[in-house]
Amino acid sequence: MKTFEEKWTAWLDDQLSGRERAEFEASLLDRAAAEAERAAAKKLGALLRRELGTHDLANEEFFSHQLRERIARETHLPIRERDVEVSPWWTVGRLLWTGTASLAVFSVFMIFVVHDRNPVEQSQYLTQILNARVDPVVSPNASISMFEAKDDRVTVLWTEGLQSLPADYAAK
Amino acid sequence: MSRSLALFTTLAALITSAAPKALGAETVWSGLIIAENAEQPQPIPPELTRIERPLKQLFGYSQFQVIGQSRKTLRTGQEDWLATSKFFALHVDAQGESEAGYVLNLKLYKEKELLLESDAKLSKRSPLIIKGPQVGGGQLLLILIVQ
Repeated sequence: MKTFEEKWTAWLDDQLSGRERAEFEASLLDRAAAEAERAAAKKLGALLRRELGTHDLANEEFFSHQLRERIARETHLPIRERDVEVSPWWTVGRLLWTGTASLAVFSVFMIFVVHDRNPVEQSQYLTQILNARVDPVVSPNASISMFEAKDDRVTVLWTEGLQSLPADYAAK
Repeated sequence: MSRSLALFTTLAALITSAAPKALGAETVWSGLIIAENAEQPQPIPPELTRIERPLKQLFGYSQFQVIGQSRKTLRTGQEDWLATSKFFALHVDAQGESEAGYVLNLKLYKEKELLLESDAKLSKRSPLIIKGPQVGGGQLLLILIVQ
């Protein structure tokens, strides 16, 4: 069962059969206005077909055109520019190169800079005695010397001639 | 842009690795030791085991007994403390820290009498041994170790 709108559209396009057409036209309240509207619609259709028909592109043609344009654009781009568009800068290869280069720079730094500092740092790792003194009144014959036992990493402040004390002084 | 970033990262890594490392909280053990020869020497105190060999080689004694000690954790490097026995006292005054260690002022007292004073830069890898006065048949030693 067709609706009124479907019948109306079919009537405008002359798609109704003879009996359907007669029935539909009989059901119209204002036949003259409907005829005028149909005439206007046909005129508009003819105008559109005439004016726009030459500019239409079929779907296939449209996509082919798009593809051809893209290929032409990419073909004329410089290789580097195309790479930038296609792949990110941090590829695995570049990461490897960067890592290797960093290690090389670090190694050079370790060899030439840190290695030169080693003799100084070696002594810094041993305790250093900056100065030492005894009371000359209490221990007039005392003397002081200092040395480092580097094998054992021990620094010694060696005193001689300090006042001797009885064994009682060893108490806890 | 990316190359600049890589270069910056590399330089930052180098600078970080070269930067001096600050000391964390370290504990300094200070001990008053009587070294003497004994027919049946007591085992060496656990604090001295790492320097047992140089102690025996340098001083020639068979026994080392702790008569006074102190264990101080340094957080600011400005602390001071005392290690005492009945007659002796070792006053240690920390006066700052550096990459190499702690700067310490050391004073050895016999009761209230100052016997010896010294300034030293104590490394955490290198103990300090001070030979003190003769006490009976033995020797008083002062030892500082960063633990």
